[in-house]
Amino acid sequence: MRTMEGVVTIVQEGRFQLQDDAGVSHLFILSPGAGAETDQLTPLPKRQARVRVRYEPAENVIGNLAQSIALTDA
Amino acid sequence: MDIPARAQDYTASRLDRLIPNESELTAGVLIEPGKSYGFFTDTTLCIGCKACEVACKEWNNLPADNLGLTGQSYDNTGALSANTWRHVSFIEKSGACGVRDNDQAPFQSGWLMMSDVCKHCHNAPCIEACPTGALFKTEFDTVVLQQDICNGCGYCVPACPFGVVDLSTLDGKAHKCTLCYDRLKGGLEPACSKAGPTDRIQVGALNDVPRRAARRVEQLHAMGAESAYLYGVPDSPGATGDLVHLNAFFLLTERPETYNLPAAPTRASNRVAPSLAAGLAAVAGLAVAAFSLFSSRD
Repeated sequence: MRTMEGVVTIVQEGRFQLQDDAGVSHLFILSPGAGAETDQLTPLPKRQARVRVRYEPAENVIGNLAQSIALTDA
Repeated sequence: MDIPARAQDYTASRLDRLIPNESELTAGVLIEPGKSYGFFTDTTLCIGCKACEVACKEWNNLPADNLGLTGQSYDNTGALSANTWRHVSFIEKSGACGVRDNDQAPFQSGWLMMSDVCKHCHNAPCIEACPTGALFKTEFDTVVLQQDICNGCGYCVPACPFGVVDLSTLDGKAHKCTLCYDRLKGGLEPACSKAGPTDRIQVGALNDVPRRAARRVEQLHAMGAESAYLYGVPDSPGATGDLVHLNAFFLLTERPETYNLPAAPTRASNRVAPSLAAGLAAVAGLAVAAFSLFSSRD
């Protein structure tokens, strides 16, 4: 399982965009087994909180399936 | 569209804040809760630029999908899906036996282009089919799916007569166009209608925009395009089977089937009673047959 750290910049429903340390944005879709609800994603862009995402590439889309998301300072 | 006087207040290229009721300046309509809003898509103005598709994906943070070539002209998304909420169809009009005519009228009139989207039906069959209440009518009379309530049962998928709603293979939930519910709440017009260069998607109040569409049909008839008609307004193709009207309606120049639209869509719930009656009749018939068979043995 791959991991990525960065700041969540956009959230729409269960989809979010993560900007990594190099300034590159990556699109993630929250997996049903991620243990997080879409409502928990909503405050992240405003908080500019740093998060760590465990993910795997999604099939046939330019995006990744987030298997877990956690605040790095938590 | 007349430009409101207050547009002069926002002439700078960069603004430090959101323009209040911006839709009034960009679409000529004030978005207010309690009123009905919808799309009017004029296919005669569509040039297939797909700006609406891109704007929808950008705003809603939807991933690019169907990677690779479809082999269908410039159509790389293929159809409406869980990740594509606006889809521009490229339909080549052919002559007899599917063979393209040698002589084509100027201005690429051998092509039909249409930006398809959720119709936000007045009597939405997807809402009737949803067992969890995830699908609901908003204060703008649009149909929205709440992701945190959707359990992914998929009943809404076959209930939709237009094939709009789709289950995502990634998160297992149903997805469809929200008519940019979040933008409407902020006084903005939907991303797709704002992006188009030819104004072929117009957002407006449903007490106004059908009249605008009817005037456009009259204009096209006067210009010689006799085949132009509206799909989805009351008493027209697309507004059949108790759907009453579609909040997202279209101006077409060919039969609905040409655009992959059903000529006479119906509500799935209309078929429940006849199906139940047929099932009960079959059970009763089998019971009578079994009774007569076994009673004759004695």
